[in-house]
Amino acid sequence: MITVTDLRKSFGNVEALKGISFTIRPGEFYGLLGPNGAGKSTTIGIMSTLVTPDRGGVVIDGIDLAKNPMLCKQVIGVVPQEIALYNDLSAVDNLLFWGSLYGVKKDVLKQRIDSTLKLFGLFDRRNDKVKTYSGGMKRRINIASALLHEPKILFMDEPTVGIDPQSRNLIFEVVEKLHKDGMTIVYTTHYMEEAERFCDRIGIIDNGTIVAQGTLDELKAQGGDKESLVIAGNGITEEKVAKLKSAGYTVSVHEEKLIFTSASLKTDMPKMIMACNENAIDIEHIDIRRVNLETVFLSLTGKQLRD
Amino acid sequence: MFTIALKDIKLFFSDRRGLLMAFAVPVALITLFAFAFGGAGGSNSGPTATTLVIADLDNSGRSKILVDSLDALEEFEVLTTTADTAELMVRKGDRAAVLFIAPGFQDSINSGGAPVFELKFDSGEAPRVAILQGALYGRLNQFVGMQKADAIMNSRSAMPHTGTSDSTAGDSLLKDVMPPVSLAKEAERNLIMNQTALVQEKQNSPGLVHAVAGTAIMMLLFSVTAMGTAMLDEKQEGTLKKLLFSPINPSSILFGKMISVNVISIMQLSIMFIYGWLVFGLDIAHHIPSLFIMIFCTAYACSSFGVFLVSFAKSRAQVQGMSTLVIMTMSALGGSMVPSFIMPAFMQKLGVITVNYWGVQGFYDIFWRDLPMTDTTFLMRPLVLICIGTVLNLIAVRLFKRNVLSLV
Repeated sequence: MITVTDLRKSFGNVEALKGISFTIRPGEFYGLLGPNGAGKSTTIGIMSTLVTPDRGGVVIDGIDLAKNPMLCKQVIGVVPQEIALYNDLSAVDNLLFWGSLYGVKKDVLKQRIDSTLKLFGLFDRRNDKVKTYSGGMKRRINIASALLHEPKILFMDEPTVGIDPQSRNLIFEVVEKLHKDGMTIVYTTHYMEEAERFCDRIGIIDNGTIVAQGTLDELKAQGGDKESLVIAGNGITEEKVAKLKSAGYTVSVHEEKLIFTSASLKTDMPKMIMACNENAIDIEHIDIRRVNLETVFLSLTGKQLRD
Repeated sequence: MFTIALKDIKLFFSDRRGLLMAFAVPVALITLFAFAFGGAGGSNSGPTATTLVIADLDNSGRSKILVDSLDALEEFEVLTTTADTAELMVRKGDRAAVLFIAPGFQDSINSGGAPVFELKFDSGEAPRVAILQGALYGRLNQFVGMQKADAIMNSRSAMPHTGTSDSTAGDSLLKDVMPPVSLAKEAERNLIMNQTALVQEKQNSPGLVHAVAGTAIMMLLFSVTAMGTAMLDEKQEGTLKKLLFSPINPSSILFGKMISVNVISIMQLSIMFIYGWLVFGLDIAHHIPSLFIMIFCTAYACSSFGVFLVSFAKSRAQVQGMSTLVIMTMSALGGSMVPSFIMPAFMQKLGVITVNYWGVQGFYDIFWRDLPMTDTTFLMRPLVLICIGTVLNLIAVRLFKRNVLSLV
């Protein structure tokens, strides 16, 4: 459905993309994960025709994006991170405007607007101005406006940032329904649980390159299937961390917490706690993290996803 | 308390727009108005020469001397032309008044009679005409008196000797020609100044036309800039980016904005003139086609200016600071605030580069000068407005791509 080949893009002296390639299959839910500045927005920008690459190409639904961007735009829907709506217009007027840009006939558009508003639970508020909506409601309309021309591919750039649980759950339900109906979805998020819940495959991008790609299980394997022991306490210093490292432990500090990683936490955990005691680290809280996308991400990029 | 004051002062000086509004805009306006009302140069500055158009219908030796004498004066810069051209100049608003030297001027002087002048003027330009008339009347009177004396002296030297003394004969002749009367009456007898209004007083007073047209154009410039600024808001709020995701050409976004600004501008100008008609009795009923042309072209030029200004800027703050200064300057120079004839010649010339000037003059042509729609002088105004608008639009398209789209 989407083939990205050797994509390169620089902004001045900054090389945002260093030749990334990946393929997304029809009907697939593909997650694009990476810390801020990793290059995922540039990748989405190129795939959604907003940014012109320096080199490389993108083929969307068999259409060469460089040769026929307008045709590509017809088959994609984009949900930007910003809530891009006209606050002084009602939900219906907003949707009529955004839908009409794609050439959808007015009567068809009106039917789709009604069904979409029902889907997002906003039909009763359809004639209210968007400025009277909560953040979550606006996010729902923001997504709805990208669906009216029934795109084959949907790009969603962090669609659940800063919203209430009710709206988030509603968006999850809609996203799952769209996926079930066969829509190809490219999803960027900072929330690991979202990526784990929805994505068939995940591409981890860092410093303008794809560092790992595959299903969640494949990524866990690539990350070494390591578990983490997170220790919160007093007396954590750089000197002591260096001592622990020299003693052979894989350890790092994040948000003033010690993070030990191990292939077998069951065996290594008592030793880790002993080492802390020997180094006068006063343990207040212990948390065991099983292998998940977050630990994989940390292991592959050396960064937390929210960095 | 002082900490708060210091913080506020620091904040004020860190706000460029605030500084611009507080200092640069008033300074610019003071400069403009000082020039406009003759404050520049202090009290030692000499008078500004007024162009005096003369149609010499006598075309005699003495009338030529008169023209040369007037031209030699500091306050006049004389331009001679034919009677038809002179009248046309007034009718088309190029000149407030023209002076006609009537046939028989030389004969009247030689015979001691009162030579006839005619001042043909635009009654809509009463203040200018009054100033010109005042300056002219004294000079003409002085000249005619001297010429008459010269004629007497010439005739005396040609007279046969009567036996009386030279002085007695001269005095008696002078008494015949210029009897001892009061100075004002003497002036009245020295010359006859007929006055003809070529452009008559009518329902649409120039003050009303100026108030409606000048204000409407100035306010339109402010509102089109505000409408254009909405494009920068779209950039900030992400809707511009979302528009670019849709299958429309990026230029269509700008053109769409231009169309909406144009439509609203036409509506705004129309409402202003309808208001002028309903409340102040501005006679628009007899000028609908030419009024529509002027409204359309003025709206086009003003909208283009608004879009141009927005495309030029990179943020809303930049536009707001810049627009106030530019629009106020344009309005002052172009005759939206005060009629341009009040200003010195160089400012009137500068006014020609503004949208306001062509708009205000066009509406004057319609409502005051009563020029027909086919008149070339009138047609030039909308044509220039269209040209200004098109040039600004072309620049705006380029700047929009560089300054707005590139920053999405």
